[in-house]
Amino acid sequence: MRRMALPVAAAALLALAGLVAVEWLRPAAPATRAEQARQIAAELRCPDCQSLSVAESQTAAAAAIRTQIVELLAAGRTPDEVRAHFVARYGEWILLAPAAPIAWWLPVVALLAGISLLAAWLWRGRRRASVAVPEPGDAASRARVRDEVERLDA
Amino acid sequence: MSLRSLRWLAVPILIVPLGWLLFTGLGNDPRTIPSPLVGKPLPAFSGTTLDGTTFSSAELAGRPAVVNVWASWCIPACVDEHPVLLAAAADHAGQLAVVGILYQDTADDARGFLARYGDGGWPNVLDASGRIAIDLGVTGPPETFFVDGTGIVRARHVGPLTAEEMAEQLAALGLAP
Repeated sequence: MRRMALPVAAAALLALAGLVAVEWLRPAAPATRAEQARQIAAELRCPDCQSLSVAESQTAAAAAIRTQIVELLAAGRTPDEVRAHFVARYGEWILLAPAAPIAWWLPVVALLAGISLLAAWLWRGRRRASVAVPEPGDAASRARVRDEVERLDA
Repeated sequence: MSLRSLRWLAVPILIVPLGWLLFTGLGNDPRTIPSPLVGKPLPAFSGTTLDGTTFSSAELAGRPAVVNVWASWCIPACVDEHPVLLAAAADHAGQLAVVGILYQDTADDARGFLARYGDGGWPNVLDASGRIAIDLGVTGPPETFFVDGTGIVRARHVGPLTAEEMAEQLAALGLAP
């Protein structure tokens, strides 16, 4: 059981690291309304450009969305409600980061599964290598083998 | 449970989802975006038209409608599509409502476009604030929404409509060619 301790500890450590990474990658909630508006704009895809956020784009469509974000926040909507407002119109496509939690957890889970499989495989290999080679036969049969070999050599 | 038995499981566990992802993902056109509006009521809108009157989407009720988002600068797509819209409006006069929404355009430029390529006489709503385009989830002109008589969006077409596509969509709305 002590041999299991290392892989288990490594897996636990990695799980913790994954958790920290996911929380760290997720943007923290901002304080002021202007900050909130900027952050929502950064999370929305600009509808008429390629791979730019609403915050980065200079197009009129992006400007209209930025204006509407500010208006909706001023009307008392929460950032989640503002995002839902645009998802209802453009679909999930408008979100630059995936909304489904599985998209955040799946890479971590897959990495952990891969590492545990690798650890288990390495651990198994080491255990097999450490198995002692048994003494082949008793004194009588060893003597017989020696005789047979000598007879062949003669 | 031995690892040897797991090894045989690994093949379907890895290959099946990967294959499925590739099979479905590669077939997708990244430029076509499914509209969440299909099957839902057309968002209400109103605005000033090129004639200076006010148009409200409430006027569309009772008959099928084609809501066409366009711009005078949308060349050649909107130019290519224009005769298709003119023909549909003429063929189904009285049965089909057509309304244009101008996407990031000025009234003068839009009037110039209609003077050059033909004015079907349907209302063209100026969307100065871009609010109507946001409510429709427009990603760029031309985009066309097909709305049935009860005000439900039945289809959304991104890009210029051909005569065949128009006939197909109108048939789905119950308008025979």
